[in-house]
Amino acid sequence: MAKPKVSSDWMAGCAGCHMSLLDMDERILQVVELVDLRSTPITDLKVPDEKGVDVGILEGGINNTANEEVAHRMRSRCSILVALGDCAVFGGVPAMRNFFTIEESLRRAYVETESTEPGSKIPDDPELCVPTRVRSLQEVVPVDIFVPGCPPDADTIFYVLSELAQGRRPVLKGDKLSWQ
Amino acid sequence: MVNISIDGKSIQVPDGTTVLQAARMAEVYIPTLCDHPELTPYGGCRLCLVEVEGARTLQPSCTLPVNNNMIVHTDTEKVREARKFVLTLIFSERNHFCPFCQVSGGDCELQNAAYREGMTHWPLMTNWQNYVVDASHPNFVLDNNRCILCRRCVRACGELVGNFTLGFEERGASSFLVADLGTPLGESTCVACGTCLQVCPTGALIDRASAYHGKDVQVEHHPSVCLGCSVGCGIDVLTRDNNIVRIEGNWDAPVNDGVLCNVGRFQPMEEKRERIVTPMVRKDGKLKAATWDEALDVVATHLKPLAGKNGGGVAALASTRLPSEALYSFKQLFGEKMQSSMVTSSEEGYPTAISADLAGELGKSFEGRLAEINTSDCVLVIGVDLVNNHQVAGFFVKRTLQNGTKLVVIDPQENPLDSKADFVVKALKGTDLDVIHGLSAALSQLGLAKTKAIGKAEETLKAASEKTGIGTETFLTVAKLLGSARHPVIIYGKGIMVDGGADTLRALVDLAHTAGVADESHSAMISTKGHANSLAAAQYKMDKPFEVNGHQAVYIALGDDVPSKRLSQKVEKVPFLVVQASYASQLSAIADVVLPVEMWAEQEGHYLNLEGRLQKASKSLPAPADCWSNDAVLKAVAARLGIEINENWKEQLYQRVPSVAFMEG
Repeated sequence: MAKPKVSSDWMAGCAGCHMSLLDMDERILQVVELVDLRSTPITDLKVPDEKGVDVGILEGGINNTANEEVAHRMRSRCSILVALGDCAVFGGVPAMRNFFTIEESLRRAYVETESTEPGSKIPDDPELCVPTRVRSLQEVVPVDIFVPGCPPDADTIFYVLSELAQGRRPVLKGDKLSWQ
Repeated sequence: MVNISIDGKSIQVPDGTTVLQAARMAEVYIPTLCDHPELTPYGGCRLCLVEVEGARTLQPSCTLPVNNNMIVHTDTEKVREARKFVLTLIFSERNHFCPFCQVSGGDCELQNAAYREGMTHWPLMTNWQNYVVDASHPNFVLDNNRCILCRRCVRACGELVGNFTLGFEERGASSFLVADLGTPLGESTCVACGTCLQVCPTGALIDRASAYHGKDVQVEHHPSVCLGCSVGCGIDVLTRDNNIVRIEGNWDAPVNDGVLCNVGRFQPMEEKRERIVTPMVRKDGKLKAATWDEALDVVATHLKPLAGKNGGGVAALASTRLPSEALYSFKQLFGEKMQSSMVTSSEEGYPTAISADLAGELGKSFEGRLAEINTSDCVLVIGVDLVNNHQVAGFFVKRTLQNGTKLVVIDPQENPLDSKADFVVKALKGTDLDVIHGLSAALSQLGLAKTKAIGKAEETLKAASEKTGIGTETFLTVAKLLGSARHPVIIYGKGIMVDGGADTLRALVDLAHTAGVADESHSAMISTKGHANSLAAAQYKMDKPFEVNGHQAVYIALGDDVPSKRLSQKVEKVPFLVVQASYASQLSAIADVVLPVEMWAEQEGHYLNLEGRLQKASKSLPAPADCWSNDAVLKAVAARLGIEINENWKEQLYQRVPSVAFMEG
């Protein structure tokens, strides 16, 4: 059996889930032995192979049109899509802004924040992506495996990758199931 | 009895048992959220759905009574799917995002239930609606966004506390928790007992003091007894790294079944007094830190010549917050060995002496248990404010009212229970005795007397009416309520323990017999007494008014109590004053020697509550290095004086007939 190809990407998150992936220390070598690690935000290759990968991993929720593109691209290029971390699974911390309108959030971020210069304005360059309500990954594309946690434990991520690499579907329970 | 099968286990349960209770008896696990063992089943969350053979749909086990030969399945695919669906609905309804919730990680029953079902996510999208956050209360915050509408808090507020402050506004998914009719919690009728906080399964009600201070897995639990008053509620002291995180009511405690009041739950967390951590001796007019050896030497030097000098020796006063062990050492040291004529307690017998004397006179106990209130259908309260003092006893009274229990309040002054009472008797001040005589006479006149009717009832009633300024009609109405009750209860307090209180109490006991509150074998008369160990102090006969009267020294074992101004004034001019205390006060400031002792959470010892229950308070925290237990300090003083002290504190509690029969635990 050829090593399964794995790609990852991140969207509206804090990169913490990828940091947690690195937190597995020397076991990362074991992961590299088990899988063919393709594009990730922390390696040189940034975009998943056009021919497709076996496992796609996405961190973060979807809060703008650019995230939507990343989600659709990954979904179309992978067989098994993993939602990694609370933002991808539930919307997470960024989703807190859903309690406000997008206009309110943008004004707070670009105009009202204590550190902004007077006269600052909300960016409106037509080339910029358009902010949307924050959604979990499953609201935009079908998800196969949910790995909650903020971030998921390195042990949990290792378990998920090693199960997938060996052709099994990971089942999270006990210590490995945590939403915090 | 009914036969029922749950997951193949056959079990016999009493008629009227719910399927959930039966499952627990059979040790079959059914997840629940809105259910709470101390509250009436509500059937609100639907997490406990089970499959009953023959039933068309899944049934909520918490509200479904068992039927004979019922066959129940709790672990089928259909049930498991339903649970996940119920949890999905709850999670998606409000802001149930775990990473930024203080109960996440073991303390949230909602999260625990989801983990147990192996849920990695919930498939429905969240409803991004904002609900009210009410942070107006000094002790806790209400976040409706975390609420799952289980109404445990509403039921606890009404069923356990009898306060009915909490309720819901709006309907269905729009419902939100409010106080009164939408008053901010901090300005509402809330009595800040915190029972709602303790039953909340999620992070909707948040304790200000302990939020983020430690989860259940990080804290130690120390079951103990509250020293707030003589009710002696069972508490659970949660500590982390030798700091108190919070105090909770102990659900297993026989006295209070988990309910606490503000005094027990929140007040100890607000301690602001300065701690005394080293012995101090007055030198050149100023209190200076000293070693225990130096301090004890000074005490011994001054006290030794005073031994046996009845009247001109040492006057001694101990707080009724001290455990029985220390009170008895105190009594032996100063009363029996030093033969002082003035050995008393901080309450000076004010709330207990008359009852204790009467018990001696009758040769038997005449009071009953607090639990009498729970089954009562008529409660007569006289001479006590159960809203501000002995609050949990007040909760017991208030919560029975919803069962139709009648409440009569006799108090010449305004009593906070007046508004809840069916009848309020406002007699002229100082006429309690006549009120009681009048009631006895009225019972006789109505033919409701359970004992021999008194002669000339009508005349007595008329005389009572004139003296008290209360119409005979009122007497007859109250007597009818009391006399026709199936299980009447009388609660009395120190309000009647004034001059002539002995006669008043004797008349009250007679009234209790006439009204059927008490008979030869049983009594539903309850006296509230005073502080935590009021009754023990009375049993050791430390119950007389404190006077310095020519004594050359005064020894005050204050413990962690707050001294009264009156006491400090009384001892101001005494040549030699020893104060053993946990906290600095105006009293310790004028002492010649100050001996530091453990506070409530650091000591252990036994307390006799108002119903004669001997309970052990246990140690939750280690004391500062130089703070000794009250008992150890007294024994050290005795040793310096060459006095031997025995450990017979328990037997000596029986040295006089108690006003209420004792029980252990």
